[in-house]
Amino acid sequence: MTQRIIYPTDDGGVAIIVPAESVEAAMKDIPAGKPYKIIDTADVPTDRTFRNAWEYSE
Amino acid sequence: MTTTIDGSAGVTTNAGGSVNPSTTIDGINYSCRAWVNFNGTGTVAIRASGNVSSITDNGTGDYTVNFTTAISDANYSYSVNNNGNYGVAQTYASSLNTSTPATLTEVAPTTTACRFTTNSSVAAFDPKYINVNVFR
Repeated sequence: MTQRIIYPTDDGGVAIIVPAESVEAAMKDIPAGKPYKIIDTADVPTDRTFRNAWEYSE
Repeated sequence: MTTTIDGSAGVTTNAGGSVNPSTTIDGINYSCRAWVNFNGTGTVAIRASGNVSSITDNGTGDYTVNFTTAISDANYSYSVNNNGNYGVAQTYASSLNTSTPATLTEVAPTTTACRFTTNSSVAAFDPKYINVNVFR
């Protein structure tokens, strides 16, 4: 998959949904009421050293 | 062609006579309901899966597996195993049903998803090979 779905977590971080087949099929996995964005996989940092400090921005 | 051995237990054989273990025993089928093999580090990505619509990367060593078709109830059994980053089978404890490793908040599995953490002996950890199997 070349796209990811991101949404803010309750603790101020960001969750990243990795679809198995398609973004459309994974849309149901976004928690109800959460804002979200669909981004390119290439836009997700690969260095996860400070993964828990990542934030969601509008 | 299959032939029932005893006519009631549901264990069958193929034409060559070997037992087919994928069929039912006592009429109950304890099947794997979902499975996924994914990379938890670098570019997190699913290698292969069954009945999994997505995984959610919640943070370091903190993942959720989301099911395509819901499990019949939330009392299923799920196991997580992961190997080390260097291709060597290393053992890391998987703290099941927990979310943020620092606080170990319990997150109960649901019919549509299960969440877990992966940890080294000292901290949350992103393994390269993570395998999750769900049975019910």
